[in-house]
Amino acid sequence: MEAAELLTRIEALEASLKMATTVNSEVFYWWCTALMVAIHAGFLAYEMGASRAKNALATGVKNLAAFAFLIPFFYFVGWYIYNAFPAGFVPGDASGAMPWSANMGPNLEDNASGIFWAAFTMFAATTASIMSGAVIERIRVSGFIILAIFLGSVVWVFGAAWGWHPSGWLTSTFGLHDIGAAGCVHMIAGFFTLGVLINLGPRIGRFNADGTVNEINGHNMPMSLIGLMLIVMGFFGFLGGCIIYTGDTWMTIYNTPTTFSAFAFNTLMAVAGGMIGCYLVTRDPFWMMSGALVGVISSAPGLDVYYPPLAFLISFAGGLVIPKLHNILLTKFKIDDAVGAVSVHGFGGIWGLLAVGIFAAGYPNVEGPAISLSGQFMSMLVFLVLGFVPGYVLSYILKMVGLLRSDPAAEKAGLDATEVPVKAYPESRIPAFGDGALTPAE
Amino acid sequence: MNSAPITTWEGATAYFTFADSPGVITICLVGAIAVCVYAIFSMVQHENASYKKLKSNGTPPSL
Repeated sequence: MEAAELLTRIEALEASLKMATTVNSEVFYWWCTALMVAIHAGFLAYEMGASRAKNALATGVKNLAAFAFLIPFFYFVGWYIYNAFPAGFVPGDASGAMPWSANMGPNLEDNASGIFWAAFTMFAATTASIMSGAVIERIRVSGFIILAIFLGSVVWVFGAAWGWHPSGWLTSTFGLHDIGAAGCVHMIAGFFTLGVLINLGPRIGRFNADGTVNEINGHNMPMSLIGLMLIVMGFFGFLGGCIIYTGDTWMTIYNTPTTFSAFAFNTLMAVAGGMIGCYLVTRDPFWMMSGALVGVISSAPGLDVYYPPLAFLISFAGGLVIPKLHNILLTKFKIDDAVGAVSVHGFGGIWGLLAVGIFAAGYPNVEGPAISLSGQFMSMLVFLVLGFVPGYVLSYILKMVGLLRSDPAAEKAGLDATEVPVKAYPESRIPAFGDGALTPAE
Repeated sequence: MNSAPITTWEGATAYFTFADSPGVITICLVGAIAVCVYAIFSMVQHENASYKKLKSNGTPPSL
């Protein structure tokens, strides 16, 4: 074979290999995105089930609207923020992420932008949906959508740029390690939600005059459980999306090497640990499934490095503690978080970040110092403030202009009958209105 | 309407509709943003009208 012919064949092979790598990468994130849609199917089912029958569809409308609005707004501003602000509040060059850029549409020279934008859009929608369950049955859908857009398209994206980005300043300064986004997604969403709940207030009938708590049961616990299991399934897309495909190996979002095996071992062990922990302290199937989320979040920052039984124990510890923190918020602080989102995501995220500092200190980063407890702690504080302050301030403004809370009469009557033109259960009488025989909590 | 920015696939890069027309892209983008903002405004109006109807009827319209 002539040398020239050989060279041509080698070049063709190299081009083919490069294209195969590109295609594999696109296909990989495409299916991660598809799996993440299951998270939203899960949120939809579990929040509708956690609502009383009189509010089931209004809760569904809220979830569906959040999903629908997050997508365009993340296109308009979110993707740019992620790419422009890893250094803090001073923007870097991210012209390719502007919504009018040649990269932000069909482009034969760019196989990456759309598929990464899509995955991040699902991360954004997940972040906004975390707030969604906590505020059911009394928030105005319009107010919620404004909050969800701000949380999903702006607030968490700053957290992601700072701490879930190869050049994020939290990593380069503190050595933050948060592979599974316990900080930028879960903590920020959890504490944003806490800020909203303070201004929103509890559901009518949740507390008696003496401060004691009335139980408000959702109308369909089995649907909630299935929804939560769907979220767990969707997490495999979410966590898969946290891994970068380079063609010859897998990298974390911090450019450190990893394997899918690492994530497989630790994700499943974490799910199990969280479920068992919550079971032991509650015996409640709703908390068992929430425990699966607690488990994933507790171990999320170190899924790439933990010894699997250690991940199990870390998540088990989270499962033991988180339901108790939820009860403290409810009984001591009168925070009516309908699904435990603040505890599961906010406090679960804190535990996850600190656990890496305790159990994985010393692992090197590509940029910045090695993992340390102090670095994790400082980063945790940043996420806490970044989540809570905007949530509190924006919900306070919405409260002042009357856009935060539903009309009390509508809340008592049921939001479905007031705002939704169709019925969830047309052949059933929903015990919601006007016969005088019902307690406020019903 | 000729929206194609290319006349051949040979050497094509950004080939989405109006990729070579920044003015039209801006109109589309502003239009999309406007639709979203209007939808939120409409949501507020719907809620206000629902609350008003509930109070005037005394019962939810569907009961």
